[in-house]
Amino acid sequence: MRRDLAHIGEQALIDRLMAGDPVAKELLYDRYAGALYGVAIQLVPVRSRADDVIVRVFTWAVQHIGSYRTSGYQTLFSWLLRKTREFAIKEAIPDNALGGAELVKNEEGVLKRFYVCLPTTEQQVFRLCYFKGLSITTIARMMGTSEGHVNEILKVAMIAFRKFLLDNWN
Amino acid sequence: MELKTYIETGIIESYVLGLISDVEAEEFQLMRKLYSELETEIEVVERRIERAAFDEAVLPPVQVKERVLQSFRWEAGGGGAFAGDVPPNYTFINIQPKNNDHIMVHKYWRIFFIFIVLLAKILLFLSIFYFLKYAQIKEQRTGFNFRQTSTEQYAPNISSENNFTI
Repeated sequence: MRRDLAHIGEQALIDRLMAGDPVAKELLYDRYAGALYGVAIQLVPVRSRADDVIVRVFTWAVQHIGSYRTSGYQTLFSWLLRKTREFAIKEAIPDNALGGAELVKNEEGVLKRFYVCLPTTEQQVFRLCYFKGLSITTIARMMGTSEGHVNEILKVAMIAFRKFLLDNWN
Repeated sequence: MELKTYIETGIIESYVLGLISDVEAEEFQLMRKLYSELETEIEVVERRIERAAFDEAVLPPVQVKERVLQSFRWEAGGGGAFAGDVPPNYTFINIQPKNNDHIMVHKYWRIFFIFIVLLAKILLFLSIFYFLKYAQIKEQRTGFNFRQTSTEQYAPNISSENNFTI
C-alpha cells in the first residue's frame, strides 16, 4: 500500500473506491478489517467462519460501493458493520453444534460486555435479536409473550445500550 | 414527538445495529426528513460505535487479507466484476489460492464436468452392452454353423437310409 494514501479521509477513500482504485481497496481492508473481525468473531465464534465473513464483506463492499451514499449511513464503518452482521448471522451455527476446540474466546466483546449487565429478560431478547438475528415475532413465540412486549423489552435494552456507549465512548 | 426524547429511545443505536423494525424504519426516515439535526446525531452515534469497535479490534489472520486481495484482483480482472448497484444474475465458485496451487473456475465448468461424466458413463454402458450382444450373436452363429456342418455331414446318410427304407 502506498504511504501517501494511508491517512486519506473517509470521503476521499470512498471516491477512490468508486473509481476502482486497487490501492484504495487495500486501504479499505487495512483500515476496517480489524474492527469488523472483532465484531464477526463475537457473532460467529468459529474462526474459519469469521474469516469467510470478512472475505465476503469486503468483496461485497467493493462491488457495492456505489450504493453507500444512498444507504442512509453517515460512516463507512456502519455500512460495513451492518453487512458484517448480516453475513455473520447467515454463517452462524447453533451453539450446541460447536465443540470447545473451535470456539474463539469472545466474552470480552463490547456487545457481550454490554448485554451481560442487562436483566435476564432484556439480555435474552437482545441476544436473540442481535446475535441470532431472530425476528420479534419469533422471539415472542419462543418466550411465550406478545410482540408488543418483546418490542418494549428491546426498547429498554436499546436505551441501556445508548447509556453504555455514552458512558464509555462519549 | 420531541426530537430529544426520540433520540433518547435509542432508535439511532437500533438503526446502526440493524435492529430497527420496518415500521420504526419508516418513522425514522420521516424524522430524518423533518429534522435535519438528526443527521448530526446519527453521525455521532455511528462514530461512537465505530470507536467502540476499534477499541476491541482483532487482527484477522494474514491469509484472510490474501483472500480478500485475491477477490479484489478477480473483480478487477473482470472475473466477477459488474458496475453499479445491480447484482449480477450469476455467481462464481471462487477457489481461493494457497501458494498459487489453486485456480478459479466459472460455475458453468461444473455443468460441463457433470455432462462429461454422464456421457462417459453412457458410453461405457453402451460399449459393455454391445460387447455382450456381439458375444451373444457370435456364440449363436458358432452354434448355428456347428449344427449346419453336422447336418450337412449326416444328411446324405439319412437320405440314403430313407431311400433304402422306401
